[in-house]
Amino acid sequence: MIAPLDLNDKNSARLANANLDSIRHAIEHAKHYLPTQGPIAVFIHHNTLHALEHLPFDEAVLEGLRTYGSQPYWQESRYREEMARDRIQVKDLQSVLGRDLGLSGSKEIASGTTRFDLRYNMLLHSVLTGSDAELRWLFAQSDALDRFRTGVEPQTGFAVVEATRNWIMRDLRLHPSDSSTGIPAAIRSIFQSFPVRTIESWSDETWKQLTLQILWRICQNGVQCRSPMQHRSPSTYRHRDILLKLSHFDCDLQVHDLLIRFTSAFLDQGFAGWSIPNREKGFYRCFLALFAEKSLWAEKWLQPLRALIETERQTVSTPIESIANSLTALGVPADIREKYVKKTLLALPGWTGMVEQMSCNASWTLYPAPKDSLEEFLAVRLLLDRISAAHCLEEHLPHGSYELSEVLALDHPERHDPLRQTVQQSAFDVFQLAQRLGWSPRTLYSWSTEEWQSVVGEIGIFDDLERRRLFHLAYEHRYRSQILDSISEHSQFPLKVPTSVSFQVITCIDDREESFRRHLEELDSSVETFGAAGFFNVPMYFRGAADAHFIPLCPIMMVPKNYVEEIGPLSSKQAETRRTQTRMLLGKASQTIHMSSRSLFSGILTALFGSLNAFPLVARVLFPRLTSQIRNRFGNLVRPTVATQLRLERGDDSVLTDKGAEGFTLVEMANMIERLTGDLGIQGCFAPLVIVFGHGSSSLNNPHESAYNCGACGGGKGGPNARAVAQMANDQRVRAILKGRGLVIPDATLFVGGYHNTCDDSTHYLDVDRIPPNHTAKFLAASQIIERARRRNAHERARRFYSLDMTSSDEEALRHVEQRSEDLAQVRPEYNHATNAACFVGRRGRTRGLFMDRRCFLTSYDPTTDDETTSILMRIMQAVIPVCGGISLEYYFSTVDNVGYGCGTKLPHNITSLIGVMEGATSDLRTGLSQQMVEIHEPIRILFIVEAKPESILSIMDRNPLINTYIRNHWVQIATLDPLSNQIQLFQGDRFEPYQPGPHVLPSVSVSLDWYRGWREPLGFSRVDINALPAHNNSPIGNKV
Amino acid sequence: MSVSEWTQVFGSITFICPCVLLLIIGVSLLIGRPMSELILGRWLKAMVSLSLISALAVLGIMLATGSRRELVDLGNMVEIHDVHFHFHIKFIFDRLSVPMVILSLVLCGTVGSFGLSYLHRDAGFQRFFLSFAMFLVGMTFASLAGTIETLFLGWELVGLSSALLIAYFHERPSPVANGLRVWAIYRFADAAFLAAAIALHHQTGEGDFSLLMGDEPWPAGTASLSDSSALLVGTFLLIAAAGKSGLVPFSGWLPRAMEGPTPSSAIFYGALSVHLGAFLLLRVSPILDRSALLSWMVIGLGLISAGFAALAGRVQTDIKSALAFASLTQVSIIVVEIGFGFLYLALIHLIGHACMRSLQLLRAPTLLRDYKTMENAIGKSLDHGSPHIIAWLGTSAQRRLYRGAMERGYMDAILDDRIVTPFVRLFSTFNRWERGWTHWLAGSHHGSEQHQEKMQNE
Repeated sequence: MIAPLDLNDKNSARLANANLDSIRHAIEHAKHYLPTQGPIAVFIHHNTLHALEHLPFDEAVLEGLRTYGSQPYWQESRYREEMARDRIQVKDLQSVLGRDLGLSGSKEIASGTTRFDLRYNMLLHSVLTGSDAELRWLFAQSDALDRFRTGVEPQTGFAVVEATRNWIMRDLRLHPSDSSTGIPAAIRSIFQSFPVRTIESWSDETWKQLTLQILWRICQNGVQCRSPMQHRSPSTYRHRDILLKLSHFDCDLQVHDLLIRFTSAFLDQGFAGWSIPNREKGFYRCFLALFAEKSLWAEKWLQPLRALIETERQTVSTPIESIANSLTALGVPADIREKYVKKTLLALPGWTGMVEQMSCNASWTLYPAPKDSLEEFLAVRLLLDRISAAHCLEEHLPHGSYELSEVLALDHPERHDPLRQTVQQSAFDVFQLAQRLGWSPRTLYSWSTEEWQSVVGEIGIFDDLERRRLFHLAYEHRYRSQILDSISEHSQFPLKVPTSVSFQVITCIDDREESFRRHLEELDSSVETFGAAGFFNVPMYFRGAADAHFIPLCPIMMVPKNYVEEIGPLSSKQAETRRTQTRMLLGKASQTIHMSSRSLFSGILTALFGSLNAFPLVARVLFPRLTSQIRNRFGNLVRPTVATQLRLERGDDSVLTDKGAEGFTLVEMANMIERLTGDLGIQGCFAPLVIVFGHGSSSLNNPHESAYNCGACGGGKGGPNARAVAQMANDQRVRAILKGRGLVIPDATLFVGGYHNTCDDSTHYLDVDRIPPNHTAKFLAASQIIERARRRNAHERARRFYSLDMTSSDEEALRHVEQRSEDLAQVRPEYNHATNAACFVGRRGRTRGLFMDRRCFLTSYDPTTDDETTSILMRIMQAVIPVCGGISLEYYFSTVDNVGYGCGTKLPHNITSLIGVMEGATSDLRTGLSQQMVEIHEPIRILFIVEAKPESILSIMDRNPLINTYIRNHWVQIATLDPLSNQIQLFQGDRFEPYQPGPHVLPSVSVSLDWYRGWREPLGFSRVDINALPAHNNSPIGNKV
Repeated sequence: MSVSEWTQVFGSITFICPCVLLLIIGVSLLIGRPMSELILGRWLKAMVSLSLISALAVLGIMLATGSRRELVDLGNMVEIHDVHFHFHIKFIFDRLSVPMVILSLVLCGTVGSFGLSYLHRDAGFQRFFLSFAMFLVGMTFASLAGTIETLFLGWELVGLSSALLIAYFHERPSPVANGLRVWAIYRFADAAFLAAAIALHHQTGEGDFSLLMGDEPWPAGTASLSDSSALLVGTFLLIAAAGKSGLVPFSGWLPRAMEGPTPSSAIFYGALSVHLGAFLLLRVSPILDRSALLSWMVIGLGLISAGFAALAGRVQTDIKSALAFASLTQVSIIVVEIGFGFLYLALIHLIGHACMRSLQLLRAPTLLRDYKTMENAIGKSLDHGSPHIIAWLGTSAQRRLYRGAMERGYMDAILDDRIVTPFVRLFSTFNRWERGWTHWLAGSHHGSEQHQEKMQNE
C-alpha cells in the first residue's frame, strides 16, 4: 500500500515503485480491450474484437461474451427463423456438424444414438427449457404428457409406444413376483393410476399417455445421478456488482452521470461556448481543481468528495499513486488487481476508450488529450467509485454493516449460478430428446449411472452457445457453397475479355461498385472494368480549394508524406478571391447565428425573426430534393470554379519539412503509376480512354457520414486521388520515365479522373476542360454509357429500400436516391457495406457477367503477370485482408449484438463534444454501427476468393504475420481459384483442401434487371449473359488463360 | 349558411380532426390491426392539413368580418348541481389562440411527416404516432381552450404524451427513469394548475376565460378578481407555468427530456410543449395585470431562469442539451416580456422561437457537417474559447461558476434533498403509523404480518 512516502526508507520506496509499475502494467494490459474507435468525423471500419485477434474466432467471441457481455452470435431463435425461410438448409447443418465433429461424431452416446445424431437432432428442433416453475406448469396444465413433442416422427413415436407396451405387458406383468424384473416401484404408482384391469383393451392414446408418463418419471429419476458440473473459474467483481446484489442500488449510475459530463467537457473539441477551466493541467488535476472548490450545493453522495480531494492532495502527487491509494482503500487484493482495473475501465467502455484514443491517436484534432490520460481518468474514476460505494453502504444497507474495504470479500454472486441446470431442467432435456430419438422408457430404465451421466453430459455440452456456433457455421456454409459453386461453374467458361476495348473504368474495390461495373459491362460489352483500393496508390494529404485543412487520403495504416493542394485558375484570380471572401463572410455569419441563436441577448433577435425559419423547415422536410436543388444553385455563386487544378508536382520553391513535402517528384509519380497499373494487370492493354472513379458519399443528419465514404481513403472522399492518378498518367514526362522501365502507355491513351457518389449515384469528371479535342468524342460517348449505368445502378440499389415502389423506373429510382441523400429525415441514406459477404481477388474476366448482388469486393489482380514470389499479390493482400476483413467483422459484430457491439438505433443519437454520439441526454459514448446501418446485413465472415495457387497464399501467410493471424484464426475465410482451371481450394482447419462444387446450375438471364426485379431480399447468383450481345466476337483470348 | 355558422363549422373541424386521428390510431391498435406505415401517414397528413385549412379559414373569416373573438361552445361535459361542479368544454378563437393553433398545426404537420421517414421500419412506429396524435389533440385543445377546464385537459394530454415519448426507448433504463422524472414534475405543475382552477372557480364560480376576463377580446380583458385573489390564483398559475416550461427551479428536467427520438425532442422541447407555460401566462395575462407584485414575480422568475439557462447552456457539450438550454433561455425571456405586459412581442417571440428551434433540433445530427462547412468557409478551426465576461472573474470564482453550470445549478439535487426526500420520509412515516395502527387493531396477527412482509421483501 502507499503510505505517505518516507524517503529515508529506500526499501519501502522500492516496494512502492514496484507496486506502481504493476498498476501501470495492469492499465497497459486492460486498455487493449477498450473500443478503438476514434472521433466520429473520421470513421474507420475495423475489427470490433481487434484486441482478441490472437485467439481463434470461435474462442474470441466467447471471450468477448465474458469481457463485454456481448453476444457471440445471433440468438438461436434468429437462426431458426433463417432456417424456416430456407436461408439455412438441412444439408448445411449436416455438413458443418459432420465436419465439426469429425470422427468423434460416430461415437455412440446411448442406445444406438451417435453423438452426431444427438446434436443434429438438437439443431433441427429446439430443445425447450424453462424455470422449474414453468416446467411444473407445463406438466400440470399442458398436454406435455398426452402427446409427443413437436418434431417427433410418427414412426419413432409408434416404436416407443410399442416398446413400452411390450415391456409392460410381457416382461413386467408376467413376472410380478420377480423383484428384479417386476414393475419397478418408481413407475408402479403411475401404472396403477391407469385402469389396469382392462389393460388388454387400452386404446393407443392410453398407451401413449402411459408411455409418456413413465418416460418423464424415469427421466426425473435418471438424471439424479448426473455428474456435477465443472466449476467455472471465478470471475472478478467490482464493488458495484456486489453492492447491487446486496442493496439493489447501482453505484455506477451516479458516478457515470458526473463522469460523463466531466469527460465530455474535458474532451470537447470546441462545441461548448465555455471550455472547461484548467484543461491544460490534464484530466486528474483539472478534476481536482474543479471539485475542490466550495460549491453552493452538492448531491448527497458527493459531499465527502471535497474532503477526499484535500487528503488526496496532501498524500499523493501523481495519478498513479492515487490509483494505488484508491485500490488499497477499496480493499482490492494484489492478485486480482489486474482484473479489477480491467473491469473498472470497461464499466464505461465508450468514454474510457475515447480518453485513450484522444491521448494516443488523435494528434490531428483540435484538443488532443495529454499522454497517459487514461491513467488520470482511472484515478478520478476510482475516487468517485470510492465515495459512491461508501454512500451506498451508508444509505442503502443497514448502518455500519460493512466496511468499504471488506466488500470484495463478501458473497460472490456466482454461488447462485443461474447457468447451472436444475434436475427438472436436465430431465426435461432428456425427456424431449428421448421422444425424438426413439429412446423407449425401457431403454432408459436399463441405463447405468455412467450412461446417464454420459447422456446428460453430452446434452449439457451442446449448450446454447455451441448450437449457435454451429448454426452460424451453417449460415456461412450456405452462402459459401452458393458463391463457390457459382464461381466454379462460371469460370469454366473462357475468360470474358472484350477484344477491342472502347474504354476502361477503374473504380474502388468497394462492394458497392460491383453493380456499377456490372451495368457498365452490360451496357457495352467493349467496356473493361478494374478495381483497386480507392486511394489508387496515391497516399497524400489533400486540401481542396474551399477547405480549411489538409486531410489524409489513404488507408489508416499509412502516413502520407506529400501534400497536394487544389488551386484556382490564375485567369480568374480576382473573382476567386472575391468568392473566398464571400464564403468567409457567409461562414462567419452562419457561425454567429449558430452561436448567438443559443445565447441570451442576440438570441432574442434571432428568435424574433425566427418565423422565417418556418419556410426552410417546411420546405426541407416536405420537399428535400427541390430544396437542395435551390440551395445548390445559390451555393454555386460562392463555390470555387470547376476550373481548379491540383498542385501535384514538387516545384523548386516547394517546402520540405520533416512531416512531408509539397507535391510529388516525377519519379515518385512514375513509381505510383507503375505500381497501380501493375496491381490492376492493365499494363500492355491500355484502351484509348481510361476513366478512374474515386468514390464517397454525402448525406444529411448523419453523424456516421464518414463511415459511408471510401475506407481506403481513411474515411474521406476519393475524388482527388482519382484526379491525381489521371493527371500523373497523362503527364508525358512520367510516361517517358515509365517507357524507360518498359511500361508503355500509348500516346493515344487518355486518363480522366472522376468521382462517384454512392449515395445519390451521381458521377462527375474532373479536369474535363483539359481533355484534348481529339478525345472529346470518345469521352462523350463513354460518359453517356456511364450516365445510363448509374441510373441502372440506382435502380438496382433501390430494390432494398422499402420506401420505393418496386415497379418504379430507372428515372424514378435515381430521383429517389437523390432525395434520400438530401433528406433530413432519412436515417438510411444508403446501405453502405451492409451487403458485404465476399471479396474476389483476380481477373475481372473470371467473374465478368456474374450477378453478385453487390455483395462482393472486386479487386483486380492478374496472376499471369505476377512474379515468382507473388509480390504483387502480397501487396494487394496486405491491403485488402485488413480493410475488407475489418469491414466484414465490424458489420458482423454490430449485427449479432447491435446494442452491445453496435451503437443501437440511430433515432435518439446525440452528438457530443464533436467526437461521438450518445443515446439521449447522457449515456456512454456509442461505438460501432447503428441498427439502421446493419438491419439488412447477413452476419458472415468475409470469404476471400483469390485467383492464385494455394502455395502462394501459404507463402504470403508465412511472410505476413497479420494475414496469417486473420486466416489461421479464421477471422476471415479464404479460398483459391486456380488461374488455369476452375478448381477451387478452400482453407479449412489449417490447410487448403480441394472444394467439390455441388450439382448446381447457374440460372441465366439477359440483363441484371430480369434477375433482381421483384425481390427485396438478398439474391443468389446468376449469369448475366453479356456475351450474348451481338456487338463483339467473344472468342477466348488464349494468352490470358 | 351564415358567416357565423361557417365559423362554427371550421372552428369545430379544427379541433375534431386531431381527435379523429387519435381515435383511428388508438382503435386500430386496440383491435390489434395496426395500420400500415403508408396508411397511417396518409391519415396523419390528411387530418393535420384539414385542421390547418379550417384554422386558416377561421382566420380568414375573422379578418374579413373584423371579428376579434369567436367561440365554439360544446357545453358542460359533466355537471353536478349539488356541488356546483361543472366541466365546461369551450373553444375560443382570438388573436392569441389562432396564431398558436396555426403554429401547432404547421409544426406538428412538418415534424409528423419528418417522423414518418425517420421512424420508418422502427419497432415502435405505431406507438410513436399514437403519442404524437395525443400530443396533437392536447396542443389544439390547449391553444383553443376557452375555459380553464379545457385548457387543463389539453395540458394533461400534452404532459402525458411527453412523458410517454421520453420513455419511448423503454428497453433501456435511463429513458424510463428520465420520463418518470419529467412526469413527476409535470404532475407537480398540474397540481398547481388544478389548485389555481379550483381557486378561480371558488372566487368567481366560473372557469370561462371570456367571463373572467371581461368582454374585451384578448389581450385587452380585465380580470374580475380581487387583487389578493389574483395574487393567489396567479401564483399557482406561475408555479404551473414554471413546471411546464422548465423555469427555475424545475429546469433540471429539460435536458433529461432529450431521450426520445429526435423529432419528438424537436416538437416538444424545441417548439411547442416547452412554450405551454408561457402560453398559459399569456392566456391569463389580465390576472397578471391585477397584481403588480405578481407581475414582478413573473419578471423575476423569468430573469433568473434566463440567466441560469444562458450560463448552463454555455457549458453543455452535446448538441441536444445545448439546444434545450437555449430554448429555456428564450422561453424565460418570453416570460419576462409577459411580465412587462409586452404581450404581442411575447407572442411573436414565441412563434419565431418555436420555428427556429425545431428546425435546429431536427437538424442536430448534421452538426459535424455544419461545423466542417463553417470551418472550410472561414478557413480555420472554430474555437469558441470562453465568454469574455468570464475573464473578469478570478480563477476560483470561474471554477465555481463553471461547476455550478455543469451541474445545472444543482437544481435536481436541491429538489431531491429539499422536496422529494422530506416528502417520501413523511409518507413513509404515515405508512409506518398505519401499519402500527393496523397491527394494533389486528392484535395477535402480528407475526403473520411480519412474515408477509418478509415474503414481499424476498
